[in-house]
Amino acid sequence: MKSPVLRTEDVTVRFGGLTAVDTVSIDVAEGAVTGLIGPNGAGKTTLFNVLTGLQRPTAGRVHLGEHDITRLPAARRAHRGLGRTFQRLELFLSLSVRDNLRVAGDIRNANQRGRIDVARESERLLELTGLSGIADKDVADIPTGQARVVEVARALMAQPRVLLLDEPASGQTEHETQRFGALLRQLVADGLSICLVEHDMGLVMQVCEQIHVLDYGKVIASGTPAQVQQDPAVIAAYIGTAA
Amino acid sequence: MTIFFTYTVLGLVLGAVYGIAASGLVLTYNTSGVFNFAHGAEAMLGAFVYWQLRFGWHWPAPVALVVTLGLVAPLMGALLYLLVIRGLRNTAEVTKIVVTVAIMLGMVALSQWLWNPNQPHTVDQFFGYASSFKVFGVSITTHEVITLVIAVLIAVGMRLLFHRTRVGVAMRAVVDDPDLLQLNGHNPQRLSLISWVLGAGLAVLAGVLVSPISGGTLDANVLTLLVIDAFAAAMFGRLRSIPRTFVGSIVLGLAATYVLAYFPSTWSWTSNFRISLPMIVLFAVLIILPQDRLQAAATRTRERYRVPSVRKALAGGVALVVVVFLLRLLMVDADIIVLALGMCFALMALSLTLLTGYAGQMNLAVCSFAAIATLVAYHAGVSGTGVGARITEWGVLLAVAVTAVIGAIVALPALRMRGLYLALGTMAFGVFVSDMVLADISPHVLPLLHIKFSLFTQGTLIIPAMRIGPLDLSDHTTFLMSVTVVFALLGIGLVALRNSSYGRRIAALKDSPVAAAMLGQNLVRLKLSVFMLSAAIAGLGGIFMAASVGAVTADNFSIFLSLALVMLTVSAGIGYVTGALLGGIMAGVGFSIVISSFNNLAHGGGGLSGLWSTLAHVSALLPALVGVTIGQSPSGFLHELFLGYRRMAQHARGLLIGAGVADAVLYVLALTKVVDNWWFGFLTYAGIVLLPAIAQGLRPALMTDPPPAPKPDWEAVGVDQPYTDQVRAALDTALALPATPRRTVPVAADPGPAAAPAVAHAVTT
Repeated sequence: MKSPVLRTEDVTVRFGGLTAVDTVSIDVAEGAVTGLIGPNGAGKTTLFNVLTGLQRPTAGRVHLGEHDITRLPAARRAHRGLGRTFQRLELFLSLSVRDNLRVAGDIRNANQRGRIDVARESERLLELTGLSGIADKDVADIPTGQARVVEVARALMAQPRVLLLDEPASGQTEHETQRFGALLRQLVADGLSICLVEHDMGLVMQVCEQIHVLDYGKVIASGTPAQVQQDPAVIAAYIGTAA
Repeated sequence: MTIFFTYTVLGLVLGAVYGIAASGLVLTYNTSGVFNFAHGAEAMLGAFVYWQLRFGWHWPAPVALVVTLGLVAPLMGALLYLLVIRGLRNTAEVTKIVVTVAIMLGMVALSQWLWNPNQPHTVDQFFGYASSFKVFGVSITTHEVITLVIAVLIAVGMRLLFHRTRVGVAMRAVVDDPDLLQLNGHNPQRLSLISWVLGAGLAVLAGVLVSPISGGTLDANVLTLLVIDAFAAAMFGRLRSIPRTFVGSIVLGLAATYVLAYFPSTWSWTSNFRISLPMIVLFAVLIILPQDRLQAAATRTRERYRVPSVRKALAGGVALVVVVFLLRLLMVDADIIVLALGMCFALMALSLTLLTGYAGQMNLAVCSFAAIATLVAYHAGVSGTGVGARITEWGVLLAVAVTAVIGAIVALPALRMRGLYLALGTMAFGVFVSDMVLADISPHVLPLLHIKFSLFTQGTLIIPAMRIGPLDLSDHTTFLMSVTVVFALLGIGLVALRNSSYGRRIAALKDSPVAAAMLGQNLVRLKLSVFMLSAAIAGLGGIFMAASVGAVTADNFSIFLSLALVMLTVSAGIGYVTGALLGGIMAGVGFSIVISSFNNLAHGGGGLSGLWSTLAHVSALLPALVGVTIGQSPSGFLHELFLGYRRMAQHARGLLIGAGVADAVLYVLALTKVVDNWWFGFLTYAGIVLLPAIAQGLRPALMTDPPPAPKPDWEAVGVDQPYTDQVRAALDTALALPATPRRTVPVAADPGPAAAPAVAHAVTT
């Protein structure tokens, strides 16, 4: 198995009496797509928020590479190579598609050492993600499926080591999802590590090397797609058991 | 010990009133998501209504109370909610803030119309001052006892309401997810309505109770600013918790009276300090509070702005300078001075274009930053004496730099929070400047230096003219053209800034702070830099304004002027430099010209003087009415106007050129005194506003957008409506279903990047 680049250690998040994430320890492998699946309300997005610094865990630790990043604010985690997209889109609605990418490069250049060529890099990523045709459109006017790709391309502008994708295929057509799967495989081949939360099982099984399954805040199974698909606990969580 | 007990009782009573007011504020904020800046103004209006019934018309106190609290207050809350607040869904926080600020200004204008502020309106305590008890050797009046009992009842009642009743629990849920609440069988609009009615009731109750214990004379401004005291108290509970709000209220009340009791009365600023205490406490609380958690919430709001290119901004800047120069040729000295003052306010408003329009942050105290810059320029930036005295360019630079630094100090605690906190923090700063800095009029000996000094000497500062390098601005025309050129240059600069990488970053900050942070943006640093830059612009405008006025008093920098400036700039179009131009001129001179013309007509006597005087009062209400309509077109009325002209430039160019030529002819006629200036001004203004509408009347087909594709009635599809290929294609895209060859509509056959948006657009509109 590949070495983990991002891992959690017994992370727990409680909202009042509700335990949304319960002693979860998972890892995201270097240079691969790691899936994070589970029914609605399983705690996937909350765990994402813990990983990215939007939610402080009640207990547990988060490590990025060798470093403990549990107490780092979101921006500092980004400087260390963490990027993400959002389940409910968070695009910069007053900017064009191209400027959504460029501003990500601007932010990187203004807050971190080592400059990137924003113009060249944004054109490269527009090309790579198939957005060149709509680069000048207002991002508020494009359909959800493409908006999700813009979020991915924008996150890539910051040159992350690990990319966390929160339901990137919802709102995409099957055709778009297929192209998206190919894009993910190419990114991984280029050395990026990806953690994917997704409900489209076709995509998950196709691109993930390793999958963690969450239910009611707990990890109920981890393994390869084939292993997870046959795990009785996973089948029970998704389909329900005969009572 | 008696002193201690006496002041403790006084403090508890004051705290009780704060608590009543603050709990109403928390209630409405949490159930409608709108922070009610007019909360203090509601208290003020209620107190005046009570005065009218009880002392004006000599009604018995119980009847007056029942009518005020049981009829007027609920009616006020209900009307506000139904007419204004309900229309604010899906608008940016800036819009929500500005609309309630407009209501507040409207209420102040209304009260000054109905109750002449130059006549005292005194209220007695319930059962009179003589009715009192002795407890531990301290005398407590019946009114004070009643106030304390009511506060306790309200604290307990609110607790029960929120935790024990179905309505209360539902009210807490409204702000979190109104849609979910609706699915559960509640009516979120009705719940918000109830909260506004209750909130108004609590505000009015606080207003009626507070006046007799704080001097007994009603003062519209002081009562209106009660909202800040209430806000400071509510901050103890982070605008959420009612019990902590009451604790905060008691702390504030006690602190205020202890300052009065124990600070040496020889200190000239003790009483100023007491008034400013809530603001100081507010800042302390802001500093202590932990940073707000970033929340993902980029909902699509209705505000839209187009960013012009630098080339267009350059053309606009040159045009502005030329137009102002041409106008100047028509004008006598008095008019030039007025126009120049308007341009100074436009310069101050430009600080808001950057801060609010581009970066989405708020500053409700622009005039207070102008005051800081003016004070620095006055005390440290003047060379020469007597008529030869001038504010130098170094003085201006120093003043602008100091203002930027003060801006950073003021904003830093609030910048870690949501936008609302910055708005409230700056408003508190504005009141602080008015109460502490601009009220520092009598000289006191500075420690160590042993010089006699006061910041705002005698309450009036004589500001000398400016001299920038070789350019002496004491001449009216030179001053007008200089401030116009400075405005044009700064405006072009701002557009260039917005088109730069920095500009994209502040746009990102405005659109989605959480996404910007996840890309690695240090939000506090970026907000701080924008705020400092904006404060510097406000300061620069302020120095010009002060130099233009000549002799400035605290009134030139009042918080109400700042609020009017923000409100009118937002209603003109906060995203545009033109919005600042128009908003500044309207706030600085526009409405005051209208009001004073009507007043002059009224004082001229004659049979119509009553009518003129009424019109003057109506005009005083106008800015507020303009502000209240922002909810309808949150991008500002300039945005609509620009859209009209853009269409004209495409489809009705002839008309546009014709109108331009006609106006040029009119100008020449005015210049040669064939037509009156007034007619020229009126016709030009009316032409600019009405031209797009006229064009639409002449060529309706060209000037309106093509009708949107008919939206399928989803429920009826396949039942009452045919199941066409178009409908099928739209459904597929809306549901993101696979693109199957079944579809024969060309646009949907290949859902490539170019074709898909068109279809999705048809579905969503």
